[in-house]
Amino acid sequence: MTTHPVPDTGPAAFLRRRTGLIVPLLLLVTGIVLGAGTLTMEVPANVASPGPRMFPTMVAVACVVFAVLLGVDVVRRPEPEQVTAPADGAPPTGAGTAAGNDTVATVAADTTGSDAENTLAPSRVRSNRWAVLGLVGTIAAFIALLVPLGWLLSGALLFWGVARALGSRRPVFDAFLSIAISSIVQLAFSAGLGLSLPPGILAGVL
Amino acid sequence: MESLGNLGDGFLTILTPMNMLWVLVGALLGTAVGVLPGLGSAMAVALLLPVTFSLDPIGAFIMFAGVLFGGLFGDSTAGILMNTPGNSTAIAGSIEGHRMAKSGRAAQALATAAIGAFIGGILSSVLVVFFAPSLAELATLFGPAEYLALAVFAFVAISAVVSESVLRGLAALVIGLAIALVGVDGMSGAARFTGGLPELFDGINIVVITVGLLALGEVVAVAARRGTTEDLRVMPSTGRLWLSRREIRLAMPAWLRGTAIGVPFGIIPVGGSEVPTFLSYGTERRLGSRRADSMFGKGAIQGVAGPEAAGNATAGTAMGALLALGLPTSATAAVLLAAFRQYGLQPGPLLFERASDLVWALLASFFVAMTVLLVLNLPFAPLWAKLLKVPRHYLYSGITVFAMLGVYATSGKVLDLVLVLAIGLLGFAMRRYGLPVAPVLIGVILGPLAETEFRRAMAVSEGDPSVLVSSPITIILYLVLALGVTGLLVQRARNRRRARTPRAVSS
Repeated sequence: MTTHPVPDTGPAAFLRRRTGLIVPLLLLVTGIVLGAGTLTMEVPANVASPGPRMFPTMVAVACVVFAVLLGVDVVRRPEPEQVTAPADGAPPTGAGTAAGNDTVATVAADTTGSDAENTLAPSRVRSNRWAVLGLVGTIAAFIALLVPLGWLLSGALLFWGVARALGSRRPVFDAFLSIAISSIVQLAFSAGLGLSLPPGILAGVL
Repeated sequence: MESLGNLGDGFLTILTPMNMLWVLVGALLGTAVGVLPGLGSAMAVALLLPVTFSLDPIGAFIMFAGVLFGGLFGDSTAGILMNTPGNSTAIAGSIEGHRMAKSGRAAQALATAAIGAFIGGILSSVLVVFFAPSLAELATLFGPAEYLALAVFAFVAISAVVSESVLRGLAALVIGLAIALVGVDGMSGAARFTGGLPELFDGINIVVITVGLLALGEVVAVAARRGTTEDLRVMPSTGRLWLSRREIRLAMPAWLRGTAIGVPFGIIPVGGSEVPTFLSYGTERRLGSRRADSMFGKGAIQGVAGPEAAGNATAGTAMGALLALGLPTSATAAVLLAAFRQYGLQPGPLLFERASDLVWALLASFFVAMTVLLVLNLPFAPLWAKLLKVPRHYLYSGITVFAMLGVYATSGKVLDLVLVLAIGLLGFAMRRYGLPVAPVLIGVILGPLAETEFRRAMAVSEGDPSVLVSSPITIILYLVLALGVTGLLVQRARNRRRARTPRAVSS
């Protein structure tokens, strides 16, 4: 994760600037799964002529075609070498933080450029892998625990874990806050709006 | 004038204390979600869908009207004060808006945005009231081939126009089409890509897809950005709360021009308000440069007024297109379509006959919601900005909790939670690598429609494909589409050539 100079050769450096290949890879897998699913599909007898297989076949072919085109595009135009500096470094580039929309980001950058705010060399987005892992892990744990543990506890765990993954550093305060929030949700939705939330191990107490 | 009478009945339906409360609650919640960076009105509607389950349809849709426009009113606040627009539709208005805030005119910028949103929304709602019934009548002439043409139009327009790279737009569309394939095929009864899981026979719920792509995807993106510097200073909202006569004279034409630009884009399925807001911004900038005292670059009030009016005007007519044609032209409309289906209602020409009281109550609630929102946003916009002072990790963990709750409450299936996580990661990957999200939603919503209509058309014609281009409506639609795409490609090629030549003085 450090930004020490890496020679721009070798497969590691090649892939580091082309992590975007994951999207065409995903498309390719989707295309193959769709293709296999279409071939093995059980079609009821005497179905009208464009049957249930036609559209999936088209989508599967489109998946593979766009996987190839996108893959070529990513390989030919890699992301910038330099990674965005971590906190208390350079100011962020562009205003399109929210949308991730190229058009919008370019237009915004185009017009703010005249302000001489930040005209650094283009840099690669820096991804905090540990934060993402913590977040995904928390959500996975929540999903696994929701039914056995009940909403109150697993919902509190979800809030606590996500807040921590996103950078909160007050675990004890967070614990009280998350219990309070999941209790409010339980009251508002279960008692107030009549939605059924799993009670879990606290079934008798509530 | 039948429309006016119907609208009057609509007002009578909703002007009860209880329904007014739902408008207010919706407006408050919608504004709150809209103010948060990265979350717009589509997300607000998807997150709040489960809240409405215990309401009757009219109460629920009145609340949605508040949420929908609340999101649009709210998203400019963060953009103006922090330069982090709440949604991509607010970016155009934030460029000059943030500069106004920097030069100590934040309050005027917020007021201009709120009044602009109000004018754009009200004028387009008036148009919807008068023209939606005729549009619905026109739509009764539509057969399978015409609906297929509309869907194809939407696919191409959203993939080509919204994203900078046509390739990435189309790839996103294909992802959406693939997701929509899961489930039992309605026409033949064949189970497709369900992996034998009965939970998947009904397909993947649109709420799961929207919440995953838009909300969870954004939360993961926030996590990934942790530790990267972001300029999160909230500008103090200083300056006069009211606009001077001179400012109104500057802003009024911009509001009206913005509305005029925004209105047609609600009916054309290009995925919402990004295009009209930027068109309006460009127009105002060009007009502004003709004046000797142009404020562009220093915080021009027209640069806020135009895009804000355009954004809300588009949202208004998009609702008209959804109600009359059953065609979602934006992500928000797609989620609302899902909401209609939850209540067993199918927007489209027949809705005006079958559920006319609901339609007119919904249209009337647009006006009420807009008025409530003007009151909520004009004087209190600085208060809303206080929401941004809540630490980001609490805001987004709250959103995560609400997202998971919403998904579970919608279906009660744990599998949906797993799906929402997977789709959230997909949404993050798309954000990270510059694929637009809107085409996925349009693909999910219109994919099944396109397939059904295609097969229906082919069944009627007994396999003769010429039926697809046999009526004047279809021919016109495909011609317009071909012209538009050609024009776009020519323009992009020209831009690329210009970019390749040594950079001249930019305009």
